[in-house]
Amino acid sequence: MREDDIIICRCEDVTLGTIRELIRQGYTTLEEIKRIARCGMGPCQGKTCTPLIAREIAAITGKDIHEIMKQNHRPPFGGITFEEIVSGRDEE
Amino acid sequence: MKNKADIVIIGGGIIGCAVAFNLAKKGMKDIVVLEKEFLASGATGRCGAGVRQQWGTRQNCLLAKESMTILENISDYLEEKVDIELKQKGYLLLSFSEKETKQFAKNLEVQHSLNIPSMALTPHQAQEIVPILNTEKIHSAAFCPTDGHANPFLTTEAYAKAAKKRGVEICTFTQATAIKIENGKIKGVQTDKGFIETERVLNAAGGWAYEIGEMAGLKLPVFSERHEILVTEKVPPMLDPMVMSFSFNIYCQQTPNGSFVMGHGPKNEKPGHNVNSTWQFLEAMAQKVTYLLPAIKKVRVVRQWAGSYNISPDRQPIICESEQLPGYYMAVGFSGHGFMLGPSIGVYLSELITGETPSYDVTLDLGRFARNEIIAEPSVV
Amino acid sequence: MILEYDAAIIGGGPAGICAAIAAGKNGLKTLLIEERDFLGGQLIKQTHRFFGSEEEHAGTRGIHIADDLKAELVGLSNIDVMTSTTALGYYEDGILTALHDEKMVKIKPKSMVLATGAFERFLPFENNDLPGIFGAGAVQTLMNIYGIKPADKVLMIGSGNIGLIVSYQLIQAGVQVIGVVEAASKIGGYLVHASKLRRLGVPIMTRHTIKKAIGTDKVQGALLCQLDENWQEIEGSQKQVACDAICLAVGLTPLADILSQMGCETTFIGELGGIVPKRTADLETTKPGVFVAGDLAGIEEASAAMLEGELAGLNAVKFVTGDERVNERIHHLKGELHGLRAGPVGEKIRYGLAQLFEDSVITSEKIDSHEHDITQLAHTGIPAWENIDEKMPDEQRMIKPYAVIECFQEIPCNPCVFSCPFDAIYIPKEDINLSPVVNFDKCTGCLSCISGCPGLAIFVEQRNPEQGKGTVSIPFEMLNRPQKGDVVDLLARDGHKLGTGIVTRILYGQKQDKTAVITVETDIELVNKVRNIQLQGTDKKGVM
Ligand SMILES: Cc1cc2nc3c(=O)[nH]c(=O)nc-3n(C[C@H](O)[C@H](O)[C@H](O)COP(=O)(O)OP(=O)(O)OC[C@H]3O[C@@H](n4cnc5c(N)ncnc54)[C@H](O)[C@@H]3O)c2cc1C
Ligand SMILES: Cc1cc2nc3c(=O)[nH]c(=O)nc-3n(C[C@H](O)[C@H](O)[C@H](O)COP(=O)(O)OP(=O)(O)OC[C@H]3O[C@@H](n4cnc5c(N)ncnc54)[C@H](O)[C@@H]3O)c2cc1C
Ligand code: SF4
Ligand code: SF4
Ligand code: FES
Repeated sequence: MREDDIIICRCEDVTLGTIRELIRQGYTTLEEIKRIARCGMGPCQGKTCTPLIAREIAAITGKDIHEIMKQNHRPPFGGITFEEIVSGRDEE
Repeated sequence: MKNKADIVIIGGGIIGCAVAFNLAKKGMKDIVVLEKEFLASGATGRCGAGVRQQWGTRQNCLLAKESMTILENISDYLEEKVDIELKQKGYLLLSFSEKETKQFAKNLEVQHSLNIPSMALTPHQAQEIVPILNTEKIHSAAFCPTDGHANPFLTTEAYAKAAKKRGVEICTFTQATAIKIENGKIKGVQTDKGFIETERVLNAAGGWAYEIGEMAGLKLPVFSERHEILVTEKVPPMLDPMVMSFSFNIYCQQTPNGSFVMGHGPKNEKPGHNVNSTWQFLEAMAQKVTYLLPAIKKVRVVRQWAGSYNISPDRQPIICESEQLPGYYMAVGFSGHGFMLGPSIGVYLSELITGETPSYDVTLDLGRFARNEIIAEPSVV
Repeated sequence: MILEYDAAIIGGGPAGICAAIAAGKNGLKTLLIEERDFLGGQLIKQTHRFFGSEEEHAGTRGIHIADDLKAELVGLSNIDVMTSTTALGYYEDGILTALHDEKMVKIKPKSMVLATGAFERFLPFENNDLPGIFGAGAVQTLMNIYGIKPADKVLMIGSGNIGLIVSYQLIQAGVQVIGVVEAASKIGGYLVHASKLRRLGVPIMTRHTIKKAIGTDKVQGALLCQLDENWQEIEGSQKQVACDAICLAVGLTPLADILSQMGCETTFIGELGGIVPKRTADLETTKPGVFVAGDLAGIEEASAAMLEGELAGLNAVKFVTGDERVNERIHHLKGELHGLRAGPVGEKIRYGLAQLFEDSVITSEKIDSHEHDITQLAHTGIPAWENIDEKMPDEQRMIKPYAVIECFQEIPCNPCVFSCPFDAIYIPKEDINLSPVVNFDKCTGCLSCISGCPGLAIFVEQRNPEQGKGTVSIPFEMLNRPQKGDVVDLLARDGHKLGTGIVTRILYGQKQDKTAVITVETDIELVNKVRNIQLQGTDKKGVM
């Protein structure tokens, strides 16, 4: 087993190798890498993998880690079912 | 970055990338695409990415059908092995009234004249295609099995990759800040990374089309409007086609990876660039979808977001060279169907720019509003 | 229906609870939202006694602090508490949505305190997806909340406080910890915690890291390697160890998603744990009326979280009512926080805060008052003899019992001072960060201080040169407690066996609160070497 096979995103099974390859191809933002490789879109919504990917981007590109970590957060955090949304509405 | 170009394309969405690819394929040399963020960061990367050939006007049917043909053969077309996650399981359009059913019938005639394999269905037949559909108030349906949806990000990336291979320079994180005009002629485009000398500019800036018009002193009749959309967790496949209704105001699909994506057309939305999310949208969608597809009521929404529709007076795109400012091209005002028109508009616009006879006989110029020839498309969300 | 509140507080850990109490006490209609089905946050998992200042519950076990805080909360009728409730998002019309009781509820707060805490970092290494690899938080939850033993032989990665404490808790639960691996050259957590592990025989390997987990369908071992000064692997240093679980305690990152979604500006400060909110000294974010507290504002400690929580709560009061009467308390809290962070272990926080407040409202002054060099201790968890000697009385004094405080690192902690009924323990200059000192003229050897120290760093000795014998009293928290009269193995500071001794006394009452004090009699030359005991035949040490 090589370093490239290390799993970075456990939710979507994305390896370090894939991430490195994308960065080398010029995808140097979390948003792009997320859209191409789906990492960060799993059940944990990137809590686990995002910092690791950001570190990899910083290591390869020399970009400032804070710039890299800036990303959009969108609700609803933790998720909610349609039924639960409707139930809240029924109370009105 | 080049400092001189044959054309500078402002906007790295599906339109900008498709046009760039087609121009390069025709042999144009110095093409620069400017994208202020990353590719498909605008409406394209945020959209539902449905491709529907069931329109009510001939030209929309034609353009959508041509696009679908391209997408079906995208690897051959781009001469590049790509996967755009195309899922062709059809669009199921729902009618909730006699009147809507009549409109569908008219539309079918137009569609059939172009050999689009669409058909009218009874509610019962609709349920055979979508077993989880609640047909209670459904009057009828229309279905086209070759409609579908793709991954907009991967599609744009595929075009961009093929364009780059043919010499196009794509500058991401590069913003156009001004268009230099002297004596009524375009001289170049100023960006935050330098100046590019050019005589031709294409405004493919999606939600920012009006602003890019203003840069050249043009007041384009378009505005931007927030449209919201949401995605759910992944669940086992249970919905084949895109389900859509104009009157019930919803579209909903299940992507190949298992998550549902859905949205609707907002009411009383103020024009502007606001793409914040609202809780009201969650409630409205939940209300509709638990009614229409009750089986997914226990599916979890994991993320909501929004993008801009760029809207023209007839909600149809404006694609032409400016009469006031030669060399200024625009591909703006796509409302909710720019993704599906992208591939064919890429062909059409590249022909306009190189002066060839367009492959499609369509009227999409800005002059149509002055001529009072607005496009009366009945089937839009 | 939209629920209206003066203050909505997200996160029911120590920071959030203290914020709610402060807001509620001062008349705000307050809502406290907690995702889990219980309040207390990280505190609930902490069965050990807390460090910190006596005023902020130090010396009390984390779980009990949580109980005290909850009791106070329940007493305030203008506070609504919603547990099992997740904050979903905050919208442009000022509405906060939350999933509560299987419904999406809408809340309109006039002010907010965000105290969502932090989440655990993960580490990339080969095979890191094998079953048997846990985060330290998960292990704590399994053991302390659900009473499940997670494995038999655990390798701990990370020697910060969490790694050290969880290792200790694992041993208490009967799990063998084969070692603690640390990439830095020094142990990251409090050295008293490290010493506790060492005397249980657990090796701490600084400048080492994990390369790979070994095993096919579950963890069977790990491949470790040594690192040089540049954090690069030293060739030929690889070493394989056997274990059935690997526990990761490699740090926490603030849980800032709601915060950023709300549009509060953030910045990246490594010393504070990653992305943290920009904020004023009053903990107000860039969004007026939205305050932050606790680990979300920067990874620190429960004591700081409680102070910050109250500070944020009081500022919310001021924001909503304009009441200036809270100013005095606000001023006091800021002083307390400053004090907590003033010592060497607060240096990282100070440095982080100095970056946050570019105008250096909090200067990162360098306090370097080491009387003695503690390098050996910092690398190994075992103090040098010179360090120990400084804590000893002169020889004549040794015939009467005396306390030896093996607490050398400057940490913000002082419960020992309050635990001595004879006022024999003091901290020089009343600086909570300095190392405590025993006044041997006052010390009676009463043993009270032993179980009051969260670091288990205090021992009481007595020597009888005539008989060549002596006694040592040590704190003991393991399950295999000996009986009076038992002959037990005596263990040294690194856990190796020194010989045997007889248990002459056991204190294990309410006052000891689960930290037994065990006195053993032994040969005089061992008195100052014995720091642990075990029942004979129960060897269970690290094996690396
Ligand atoms: C919620 C939603 C759902 C939709 N669903 C569908 C659907 O199902 N099917 C469909 O066909 N269509 C759909 N659409 C519409 C479709 O997304 C758009 O019509 C299409 O993506 C427009 O593409 P574009 O390339 O013109 O614009 P965009 O993708 O917006 O690209 C414009 C680009 O220009 C860049 N730009 C702007 N200003 C500058 C500047 N000054 N300098 C440099 N770059 C600049 C932007 O960053 C942006 O990336 C939907 C849209 C939304 C919002
Ligand atoms: C093993 C260990 C040992 C420690 N030892 C000590 C010690 O000896 N002394 C000391 O001072 N400190 C110690 N600490 C640190 C201390 O526990 C933390 O600093 C403190 O708990 C932080 O408090 P908090 O309120 O900020 O966060 P937390 O305690 O993490 O509480 C945050 C709460 O917010 C909730 N939450 C998060 N998101 C949402 C949401 N969207 N909606 C609703 N609720 C949400 C979480 O469920 C959680 O309960 C230790 C920590 C650990 C892990
Ligand atoms: S042994 Fe008793 S008197 Fe001596 S320091 Fe400890 S508590 Fe105080
Ligand atoms: S000796 Fe005092 S200061 Fe040191 S850890 Fe124990 S209680 Fe804290
Ligand atoms: S680990 Fe990548 S999304 Fe969860």
